[in-house]
Amino acid sequence: MPVLTVDEVTKQFDKVLAVDKASFSAEPGRILGLLGPNGAGKTTTIRMITYITVPDSGEIRFGDKKVGPWSQERMGYLPEERGLYKKMKVGDQLVYFAELKGLPKKEANKRVRRWLERFGAEDWYSRKTNELSKGMQQKIQFITAVLHEPDLLVLDEPFGGLDPINAELLQDVIMELKEGGCTILFASHRMEQVEQLCDDICLISQGEILVRGALRDIKRKAGKNTVVIDFEGSDTFLDTMEARQLIRINVRSKNRAEVRLLHNTKPREVLDEALRSANDITRFELVEPSMREIFVTAVTEQEKKIQEAGHTVPV
Amino acid sequence: MTQKIFIVAKTEFLKRVKTKWFVLTTLIGPIALIGFFVIVGIVSVKSLTSSEKTVAVIDRSELLFADYHDDDGQITFIQPNAPEDSIRAAVIRGIYSGYLLLDANIVSGGGKATYFSRDGGGVTVFARKIRSITRQAVEKRRLEEQNVPQEVFDILNASVRVDMRKLSETGEASGGTEAFAVLGYIMGFMIYITMLTYGSVVMQGVIQEKMNRVVEIIISSVRPFDLLMGKVLGIGAMGLVQMTFWAILIMVGTIFSGAIISLFLDPANLNLPAAASQNELLAAANISMPVIDPFIFVWFVLYFLLGYLLYASIFSAIGSSVEQQQDAQSLMLPVMLPIIMAIVFLQSTVEAPNSTLSIVLSMIPFTSPISMVVRYAVTDVPLWQVLLSFSLLVACFIGAIWVSARIYRVGILMYGKKASIKDLIKWARYA
Repeated sequence: MPVLTVDEVTKQFDKVLAVDKASFSAEPGRILGLLGPNGAGKTTTIRMITYITVPDSGEIRFGDKKVGPWSQERMGYLPEERGLYKKMKVGDQLVYFAELKGLPKKEANKRVRRWLERFGAEDWYSRKTNELSKGMQQKIQFITAVLHEPDLLVLDEPFGGLDPINAELLQDVIMELKEGGCTILFASHRMEQVEQLCDDICLISQGEILVRGALRDIKRKAGKNTVVIDFEGSDTFLDTMEARQLIRINVRSKNRAEVRLLHNTKPREVLDEALRSANDITRFELVEPSMREIFVTAVTEQEKKIQEAGHTVPV
Repeated sequence: MTQKIFIVAKTEFLKRVKTKWFVLTTLIGPIALIGFFVIVGIVSVKSLTSSEKTVAVIDRSELLFADYHDDDGQITFIQPNAPEDSIRAAVIRGIYSGYLLLDANIVSGGGKATYFSRDGGGVTVFARKIRSITRQAVEKRRLEEQNVPQEVFDILNASVRVDMRKLSETGEASGGTEAFAVLGYIMGFMIYITMLTYGSVVMQGVIQEKMNRVVEIIISSVRPFDLLMGKVLGIGAMGLVQMTFWAILIMVGTIFSGAIISLFLDPANLNLPAAASQNELLAAANISMPVIDPFIFVWFVLYFLLGYLLYASIFSAIGSSVEQQQDAQSLMLPVMLPIIMAIVFLQSTVEAPNSTLSIVLSMIPFTSPISMVVRYAVTDVPLWQVLLSFSLLVACFIGAIWVSARIYRVGILMYGKKASIKDLIKWARYA
């Protein structure tokens, strides 16, 4: 049974349809990536899951029961726009948040110290929050979400503002939690991280779910339609092929390009064209599309469809 | 009360009570308030006593100057042998405080007295004194011209004592109504100041949580209503501690005020033996201490509490709809009007506590925390009125917190656009 089931959920604000009959589920012990462009309805969906707001129609179940105050104690939530009490001490603050999640004070205190240690921040316990750097505060905010050992952890852009070392530390912690059986809902724009972390994907745009399923299956289904090419010398072949609508350039740098093959273009055609203008080719590989590519394709296709249907969806 | 409301309230309470600000205001508050009243008192008397004044008198009637003298010795009257022009110039140069021109026919009736000074006289104690001395001098002269015998003078001059007593169902209260009026003013102002102060502490807390973006983390653990309630109660508990402390202070102050006043009385001046008792002293000095109904202190604290709860819940709804303090001003205005009204009518409530206006003000929940306490201090309010007024206040608070919680739960997640009252009403109606 899924840990979390979002079932035909709709939410409207004034004239804006923020979420339109969305359905997806999160399986136990897996990481579900919730993706989508800005204003897609991700935050609204997450707020309904965490029972901050309620859907207009449809139902959200945690296990087999509808979400409510009871489920809040078993979820941890790290919002995208987050903050702390500036003048409160780090320790007091964390204990307070844990108490609000239903932990007894003594136990809360023990866990706070343990988590601070895990993040190498034992001596922050009695420091005031406004003395901490932004990255430090971010770690504290993460701790608030996990202190009560939730069954479901909802992380909205957890890596924003972290340096690579801390980002890796956080990634390790997330993987540990997953191995410990925690289900994780991960919302992000950073496709590399999504690819590294997520088992399942749910892509939402303009309130509608565009792609849903296991990351592996989605990529396999898309097929190997992308070419990665490392080269030296002139890259004019890229421009000519793009002008003839044979390829679309996804990523382009001085000596490297990732291109999508359009309209049944053969990989060989790209190679021929490249050999004509580049001095040398050091790598030529046909691969599955990246998550970024899947994202862009799905969203642009949706926009095209909406335009063709002749109506605009208010944003 | 759920567990979570308690946790929020406890944290809010402890977080604030431990601050220096709280300790200082609790201790200094009453001193500052008493200081305020003392300064007002001193300033109004000061206009006379600050410096001795010299007043030049031009007596065209040539009958009155002999009677110009001030018993307190604060004003010296002189009759310079100079034309009016040069006296006027002397006043402008500051040699005299002013000059008094008495018309030639002032005693016979047609004329009048005119006082010229650089500051225009005004309604100060000084102006009152000039008036009464002039009136007495003219009166005396007129009576003399009618050959009124000395006995009649004595009769007219004999002072008449007028005592003010407060009647209540339990009997006649000994003591001046002034004491009750002062108590009413103090309590009215204290409730006014604290209700607004604590109300805005709640509002600031709400705005800060929203600005810090900490609120979304909290409401993923606590229902917005519980958070709001916990905050209002926690800060209210802090107010209760402070107000109870102050109420006890006022109570102790009034109980021992007799003893304190008698310390300043010298038995010798009152023709009493040095060992005279406190009561004898006070009686001889013609001071009777008021007996104050102890329930006033209970109602004082209760009305503060409910008044605070009412305004705090409205303020928190306003706070949730804005992103910074300044934006709250325009939304606050309609809420502030009733409080301001209670303060504007404070004096008339003290003077006529049983007028229709005063009774109505003490019933309306938005003004009753101030007006009822003031009435209760100065007069005997029938119990049914207090109970009715208090019940209305409680009912209004329950309604206000319900509506506010509905606005709050939407407002704390709204960023970007400035909300109008229309938006607030719309939010309250969301499912």
